[in-house]
Amino acid sequence: MSALFKSVHGSAWWLHVAFVILFCVAVFAVLQLTPKQSRKYVIQLVTFIGGLFYALEFFLPIHAQVTAANAHGEGNFITPYMDVVSDWLTVIGAFTVGLGVINLSMVHTKRLAKGGNTAFNSAVFFVSAFAMMAIDILQKAHPNALNKNIYELLFSGALTTLDATMFSIIAFYIVSASYRAFRVRSTEATILLITAVVVMLGQIAVGQFITHKLPEVFHFESIREWILTLANTAAVRAIGFGLGIGSLAVALRIWLGLERGSYFDSQA
Amino acid sequence: MNHANVPVQILLPLFSIVIIAMILAARKKHLFIRRIQGLTAIDEAIGRATEMGRPMLCSIGLGSIDVPTLQALSITSYIIRNSARFNTRAIVPVADPQIFPVAEEAVREAYTVEGHPEQYNAEDVRFLSDRQFAFASAVSGILYREKVAASFLFGTFYAEALIFSETGQQVGAIQVAGTPSTTQIPFFIASCDYVIIGDEFYAASAYLSREPTLLGSIVGQDIAKALLLLVVIFGSLLVTFAPVLGAIFSAFLKGK
Repeated sequence: MSALFKSVHGSAWWLHVAFVILFCVAVFAVLQLTPKQSRKYVIQLVTFIGGLFYALEFFLPIHAQVTAANAHGEGNFITPYMDVVSDWLTVIGAFTVGLGVINLSMVHTKRLAKGGNTAFNSAVFFVSAFAMMAIDILQKAHPNALNKNIYELLFSGALTTLDATMFSIIAFYIVSASYRAFRVRSTEATILLITAVVVMLGQIAVGQFITHKLPEVFHFESIREWILTLANTAAVRAIGFGLGIGSLAVALRIWLGLERGSYFDSQA
Repeated sequence: MNHANVPVQILLPLFSIVIIAMILAARKKHLFIRRIQGLTAIDEAIGRATEMGRPMLCSIGLGSIDVPTLQALSITSYIIRNSARFNTRAIVPVADPQIFPVAEEAVREAYTVEGHPEQYNAEDVRFLSDRQFAFASAVSGILYREKVAASFLFGTFYAEALIFSETGQQVGAIQVAGTPSTTQIPFFIASCDYVIIGDEFYAASAYLSREPTLLGSIVGQDIAKALLLLVVIFGSLLVTFAPVLGAIFSAFLKGK
């Protein structure tokens, strides 16, 4: 088993690559030839084995496992293979990046061909994508000052700035969302409004000044602290418990092939 | 690497056994689950989009192939199956390239199951960008340009949650949201018409499909939650009335 995970070099590396490609082609061919109903069982089996691997690694007793990278490492006999399996997942994930780019290109090619209002946006997409790709390849192949500066201009000057612009819009959206939420329409909305005002006053100097002559327990900052650390935390933890167990239930259903009624299968 | 300590080694298998036992029990008897307003509103939103003759947006969030995103996809699948009956268009924006082929397949399957494979339009399942705010701006653009009548926001969301829901508000879309991201729930509550909170998100596929297996798992979840609540109450009582025993119990839970 451990020979399967050993690093190889030279001609053995080429042999391994060829074997992996052939293996993938064979698996793909078998999956394509398998009837759709049977394919479901293959997927379930792979899901079960994958889940079992991680579950065993998590639950089996651990002992000290010193490695060159980690002098205080702990684990069981499965732990050393975790990195290898993570690499597999990364490689599989990398294949799908191409799918996303292909989909984007197909959508925008059709729009360009069709013309109309959105054709300009599609042209901008192609120009931006190719410009970014070209300059990234260039600055890696020829890392001179010009290439690096152009890359920096496009990445930090344009992309990061546009990201920051979108992020800053949230500030305005918070105001409009708060306005709607704080309109006194029901008992709950009134409680929400009062709580929000108290928390806000507890956060700012003016609020702290208003109550500074009262006993400490009535200070806005004390009430704010109580709301945030006790009332709010208790509610969030309750939601967290529910989410944790809900997540466990869904994970179990998927792992054991019991998920029904959605894109998996419907129960007879 | 994280590994299970003794309390986790006891509680996690115990909860798993309870959930599986209820799934098996549900196959033999009818189980009841309460009405969840946010999920009932999905049909209302589909109806509104159909009446207005405008498309719907079904976002599955920023997540990759993980439990919340698969659950979101399951809800999306239900929405598309229902909308296919009325020939209402659904746009599914995708932010993660790994989930993209899964989403494509799920949407195609939903149309096929309803007997309308011709309604599937490859352009409506769109990979937009894996950058958070590029994705947010693209989804906002879709909401404006397509004048969507209903917006469904299910899955893992971060700061972009408010951008989606406020843009939806501005175009007058009826909005139903649900997320396991606790930090984004308040934003959805402020901006959306209906929000499902906490484990209601994971109850969605059971509630919508009414499949006995899934209903059983929901009942199992509730029993597991009750057990967890008992542990919390027991621990609180110990810490309050018997501090020494409480400290021992606390150390046990921490795996010390």
